[in-house]
Amino acid sequence: MSNVLLGLADKQWIWIATVVFASTFVLGSYSALKLRRKTGRPYILGLVTFGWVLQTIGLYARGLQYGGCPLSNQFELVQFMVWSAIAIYIFVGPAFRVSLLGVFASGFACVFSILSLALENWDDPSRKPIFGESPWIETHAALALFSYGVFGVLTLTSAMYLLQSRSLKTKKVVGGLFPFLPSIVELVSINRRLLVMGFSILTVSLAIGYRYFMEDLESVLTIKLASTVAVWIAYAITLALRLKFSLTSKKFAWACIGIFLAALLSLAAVNRSTKSSSPTAEPAQSSEVS
Amino acid sequence: MSRPHDSFSVISINHEVAPLEVRERYSMDDAKVATLYTTLKNKGKVEESLVLNTCNRFELYTQCEDGADAEFVLHTLANAYGVSPDELAGHLHLRSGRDAVQHLIEVAAGLRSQITGEAEIFGQVKAAYALSQEHGYAGKTINRVFQKGFQAAKLIRNSTTVGQGQINIANVAVDLAGKIFGELRSAAALSLGTGEIGEKTVKALRSRGAETFGIASRSQDRAEEVAREWGGTPRLLQDLESYLPEYDIVIASVGAEEAVLTRKIVKQCSSRRKGRPLFLIDLGLPRNIEQGCEDFDNVFLYNLDDLASIADENLAQRKEAVVDATAIAEQKSEFIWNAILKRREYERNQA
Repeated sequence: MSNVLLGLADKQWIWIATVVFASTFVLGSYSALKLRRKTGRPYILGLVTFGWVLQTIGLYARGLQYGGCPLSNQFELVQFMVWSAIAIYIFVGPAFRVSLLGVFASGFACVFSILSLALENWDDPSRKPIFGESPWIETHAALALFSYGVFGVLTLTSAMYLLQSRSLKTKKVVGGLFPFLPSIVELVSINRRLLVMGFSILTVSLAIGYRYFMEDLESVLTIKLASTVAVWIAYAITLALRLKFSLTSKKFAWACIGIFLAALLSLAAVNRSTKSSSPTAEPAQSSEVS
Repeated sequence: MSRPHDSFSVISINHEVAPLEVRERYSMDDAKVATLYTTLKNKGKVEESLVLNTCNRFELYTQCEDGADAEFVLHTLANAYGVSPDELAGHLHLRSGRDAVQHLIEVAAGLRSQITGEAEIFGQVKAAYALSQEHGYAGKTINRVFQKGFQAAKLIRNSTTVGQGQINIANVAVDLAGKIFGELRSAAALSLGTGEIGEKTVKALRSRGAETFGIASRSQDRAEEVAREWGGTPRLLQDLESYLPEYDIVIASVGAEEAVLTRKIVKQCSSRRKGRPLFLIDLGLPRNIEQGCEDFDNVFLYNLDDLASIADENLAQRKEAVVDATAIAEQKSEFIWNAILKRREYERNQA
């Protein structure tokens, strides 16, 4: 099967999507910081959705080529995470009504997309389709990465909280992004909801993965198991402390950012384990992602 | 392209050309304005007229018939004031044609207000236009100039920062409360002290949706009296520690030598607030709230100097925007005036 769809290769679609995300970010930032007015939410939402559709076409073209969900190397993992984060912004974001979230989300998508496109070794050609004998494994992987997308958006709203809180603390409240950012009470509430959502999805994903793991204990490397469980525990502790009000909103925001960065590093471990557990000599061997 | 003696003109007595005592002398009550309208109409040469009469400015927009111009209107107005045209001319702006249109746009957008960018003037100009229209003093030219002028003024306010940011202390504090709590309906506010500045802040908070208030005073009688007047629950200042956790916004304006709200009290109450932010507004002099209160992550403390400095920055930002706003006014007035001239030309040819 070819990776060309509608005359363009998968990566070309993803490049165009990245350009759309970058343009949205530049437009939104320029408007807020230079023109000192907010670009209308429909425009930003429209542009981000356009970029997301282009990215979806690119990932679909790649999926067609390999006959499975494209989740087998670092490039694809990052792309799927970005795709999930943008999907959350498009489908759940409007309910939050958070000013500038679209600009932040397009910046996030742009940075990670450029990174994954620029680092060619991330797109390891020895990739194997994730479809193994069990469709549950693909569900597990897709859910896990989707939860990373939610945590990605949580990182953005946490950064927005810290920016807003810092502006208020330092009394630098004229100009900059301050007039356009939502109130800190709204951001705190959104952060809590996003954490509950992401944590629930990750828990379901790990439960599915655990069932698979119990059937075949050799299928998962210790490093992968340890890193994914560590990420889950870190989010669980953060959520528990937050629900008990033992963590201030500021510490909570920093924790969400820190855990997400650590979770990104765990993706590298997942990638390594995918390669190790899928020897090229055995094409039918399945690999998994947590 | 306005000519010096265009038939459409404006005579303006305002803070830019006339000091307060002069503006006082030339102010008009409603009855005098009505008389002026009638006089202008009866003179025959003035086809359309509109009076904008606010506490800070008196303006007379007129459209004269061919052969008459602003000089004629000036004489009429001087007669109404009982002064000579020369005396009156020393205290006013006289603009005609395109310049008059630009003046209107700048006034309606708040560019010519004493407090740059203030929004009230827009409503005042609209009310003046409605009055003139209602009594049949506005005609084709005034209708077109004002309707298009309103659009241009709105464009200026929406596309520049000329009206952004609050410039009085109570409103700055309320804006900040909005940035912390979002909807103020769910935020409870406590006024420590019953002074004027506290009252203004309570009123400003109420106007932005706040519903729950506590009024604390050293005396129960005073607290009850003011709580009845302002609306809220009376509280005794001495019991502050017991009820502080119930409130999200604290406005302190107590005449006291020492801080009434200390770091220790805030620390004690924080565990009962379940992480909810606390916004402390210190309007007292000497200060009523200990500086150390802002050491906590969820506590935001602003004193008089902080609020005044934000108001100053907002005003400076508004003034910066005047250059861009004036350029828009210039461009729009050119467009509006050219359209009027073309229409007149067309009507002349038709006749």
